[in-house]
Amino acid sequence: MFLDKKLLRKMDMKLLLSVTAIIIISLIVIGSATHVNTPSEERYWFVQRQGMFALINAGVAIFLMNFDYKMLQRYGQKMYIFNLVMLLAVMFVGQSALGAQRWIQLGPITLQPSEFSKIIMIVSLAALLQEKVGKLNTLSDLLPVAAYVGVPFLLVMKQPDLGTSLVFMAIFFGMIFACGINLKLLAGIFGTGIACLPLLWHVLKDYQKMRIMVFLDPNVDPLGSGYHIIQSKIAIGSGMLFGKGLFEGTQSQLNFLPENHTDFIFAVVGEEWGFIGTVVLLLLYLVVLWRGIQIARQAQDSFGTLLAVGITSMLAFHVLVNVGMTAGIMPVTGIPLPFMSYGVSALTTNIWAITILMNIYLRNQKLQF
Amino acid sequence: MSDKDIFSGRLKVLSIIIVLVISTLIARMGYLQVYDGEYYANLADGNRIRLVPSVAPRGTMYDRNGNILVTNHPGFTVSLLPLTEPISEEVISRLSALLNVPVEEIHSKIAAHVGFDPIRIKTDVGPELTTIIAEQKDLYPGVVVEVLPIRDYIYKTQGAHAYGYVSEISDAELEKKKDEGYKSGDIIGKFGLEKVYDQYLRGTNGGEQVEVDVTGKPVQVLGRKNPIPGNDLHLTIDQEIQAAAEKAIDEQLVQIGAHAAAAVALNPQTGEVLAIVSRPAFDPNLFVNGISSKDWAVINNNPYYPMDNKAITGEYPPGSTFKIITGTAALSEAKVTPEEKIFDSGHHWIIPKGNAGGEALGWLNFEEAMAHSDNVYFYEMGNRLGIDQIERYARMFGMGKITGIDLPYEAEGLVACKAYKQRVFEEDWYLAETFDAAIGQGFNLVTPLQAASIMGEIAADGKRYKPYLVDKIVDVNGNVVKQFKPELLSQLDVEDRFIRLVQAGLHQVTKYGTAAFIFGKNYPVEIAGKTGTAENPHGRDHGWFVAYGPFDNPTIVVAVIVEQGGYGSQSAVPIGKKILDAAFHIPDPAQVAARAKAKAEAEAKARAAATAQVQKKQ
Repeated sequence: MFLDKKLLRKMDMKLLLSVTAIIIISLIVIGSATHVNTPSEERYWFVQRQGMFALINAGVAIFLMNFDYKMLQRYGQKMYIFNLVMLLAVMFVGQSALGAQRWIQLGPITLQPSEFSKIIMIVSLAALLQEKVGKLNTLSDLLPVAAYVGVPFLLVMKQPDLGTSLVFMAIFFGMIFACGINLKLLAGIFGTGIACLPLLWHVLKDYQKMRIMVFLDPNVDPLGSGYHIIQSKIAIGSGMLFGKGLFEGTQSQLNFLPENHTDFIFAVVGEEWGFIGTVVLLLLYLVVLWRGIQIARQAQDSFGTLLAVGITSMLAFHVLVNVGMTAGIMPVTGIPLPFMSYGVSALTTNIWAITILMNIYLRNQKLQF
Repeated sequence: MSDKDIFSGRLKVLSIIIVLVISTLIARMGYLQVYDGEYYANLADGNRIRLVPSVAPRGTMYDRNGNILVTNHPGFTVSLLPLTEPISEEVISRLSALLNVPVEEIHSKIAAHVGFDPIRIKTDVGPELTTIIAEQKDLYPGVVVEVLPIRDYIYKTQGAHAYGYVSEISDAELEKKKDEGYKSGDIIGKFGLEKVYDQYLRGTNGGEQVEVDVTGKPVQVLGRKNPIPGNDLHLTIDQEIQAAAEKAIDEQLVQIGAHAAAAVALNPQTGEVLAIVSRPAFDPNLFVNGISSKDWAVINNNPYYPMDNKAITGEYPPGSTFKIITGTAALSEAKVTPEEKIFDSGHHWIIPKGNAGGEALGWLNFEEAMAHSDNVYFYEMGNRLGIDQIERYARMFGMGKITGIDLPYEAEGLVACKAYKQRVFEEDWYLAETFDAAIGQGFNLVTPLQAASIMGEIAADGKRYKPYLVDKIVDVNGNVVKQFKPELLSQLDVEDRFIRLVQAGLHQVTKYGTAAFIFGKNYPVEIAGKTGTAENPHGRDHGWFVAYGPFDNPTIVVAVIVEQGGYGSQSAVPIGKKILDAAFHIPDPAQVAARAKAKAEAEAKARAAATAQVQKKQ
């Protein structure tokens, strides 16, 4: 056994149970979205693969519990370098899909490095920031940090993967905020950012501009990019209070809802389980995020706190943007819903992220023996 | 400040942000799923549910003896089923080539289409085309073959003007009839009974509620509403008489080189229409699937207007058939006694007008004048009556107004009178015009239906019934929806004895008068008739014949006109006689002989064949 039983008893059970519940729900909903109820040879492929990766990563997580998260601090810079190499590799040897280079093929596994780079980003940024708590008061204090995040940010942007680069921003702001950044400085950054939005418009690719236009009014392109939003809103809304029942969601089952096992999986929950289902799922996320903040508060050291904040920021941003997108209040950015959307790279990243949170909690508990 | 202290405040803010984020999302879900849920549920149903209509077959038309006249046959229709993505250009051009329908036409049909039901591209296509589409499904995505009831006028041109035709509803009709439940693409009666009784004939379309997936492929049938077939019309038409009348007219037109004619046969004691013919005719089947420009050109370029139902819209001078009215008026107004003789010297003594061809018939009483259709006698009657009296009687007989038959576009004709002349020509009336009016020339105009109605009043002792074509309307379960009864429109204000005298005069027409030559001495049914020759300023005279029989208890009155047929006795009477032959089941002697001969030949052939067979066996 990798782990002694005392340690297991000292786990953050609320966090563990919530995440487990979400993963179980995800396996059921992915099953529904991929038609496991209609006989065909490979109907369990998605569910099996997602389930298998969940189990493997759970095993890895248990194993990792034996190590103290504080070790990560030492590897912060090395991981940062590795991250840059990995992102550059995507640009040169990555496989492109839908005009974006995001995948690397490693034997039988297709890796999406930008998923992993999020967690690496959090670790290396936490390592950098733990010395700067309360010391981000001027622009010159902030600039090195911004540059540190800026390089991988631009590489991801270049892929182009707007979604992940926005996640970087969320992590960055979440962590520097926790780090005690001078609020006037923060307000200044936001003010400048908003003032520069029109410039950003020119940097965006045509399809990205279209996405934003469609977000403002899905009906400008009802059969094109607006289609996703319209169909997703119909799916969620038509679930009404109690939902249409598992496998009974017409929008999802008849394929009116695109990407129903990946980016739009939340709409399937809304359609088949109704308002009750969406509230339960969102409350589970609330527990996860709430625990994330609590773990940050109780962490032994600043590095732990910053790690937990970065992870919570990342997950919160994912939940907000993904659910907001399916509900038509956020633009379509291709950000998956943590633990729910099919996708083994994202699942792996997210379980590792939770593992880190657990580890921080665990080490804190240990201290109190 | 320690790190912990800094974190503490900031983390509180972060936890508030997180609670806000989740609350916002829950609120949004509440709005979409609870507040607006109904709306999105409807949209979801709209996505997945298609209504595939099944067209109700139109009601059948039967003749008075239950023979089917107009029905439907199942026809394959090639349609496009709108999917979420538009039908590709490639498929459209392939379909265009297969069906021989121009690409632009398909485009305009797609553009004009709203809703989710199939866009009909070509109706009633042959099985070879539907087989190609079925076998090469992958080449024709979005193309479906439906089976639709197609209107079938089984006797083609026969009765076409009465039965009418159907075609796709036009934009103008749709605008007018939207509230009556008509939809774009519906088939609607455009002419004849199809038009008048469309509401009864059309039935109620049904449909299937089909659940489809995102590609428009049916997944399952959710509900079905069976179409309710239209109600059947049981007509007063006698198919045998109708066929005989058409055959007689066609043969006669060929024989005398004329091109247009019309005939009506009614029951004078009820107003039931037994036959109604107009020539030239058209084949209503051509219109069912949308008439081709080639076929339309043929109809449109025909100078004799095949689309007109001349029996009710053709207005002709009544010619000598008008003497029925003049004669009735003269007797009833005591301007002449049946015994009084008037001398025909070849022309009238006041105005030198006479008989056609200038014959002089000498001394004639009422009956003889009627039988020979003597113009001089009736000029004198006109002279004695005056135009106002003639007008009054003409109107009493129903001239100058529509009969009210259940067919569209009926004309009202015209009664010669001072007011009309004053109104149109702003001139006073001349005596010569009274003379013309008295023998049915000049301004007088009647439709063949009116001519039959006038003769019918004499036949029915002064009663005028509204002509009608539909006896009853019966629904698909056999319940009578509507029963039509004879409708008495008016009764002549003339003493019976005068009507008897007019009847007697008309009886003599077939005995020794103008129609005697055709009917011969031994015609088995007693017939009263009247010939007429209407002067036609544009060409040869029109020939008229009106008749009724049996004389004592008339069951049929016939009116026939042959446009530019010359003398009525030569052009119209033979047709009238054949119609009466059919009505009274009188075999044509020539035909009897021919049939006997054919039968004998067939028997001989059979016998020879049998013998040959026997020989072979041996």
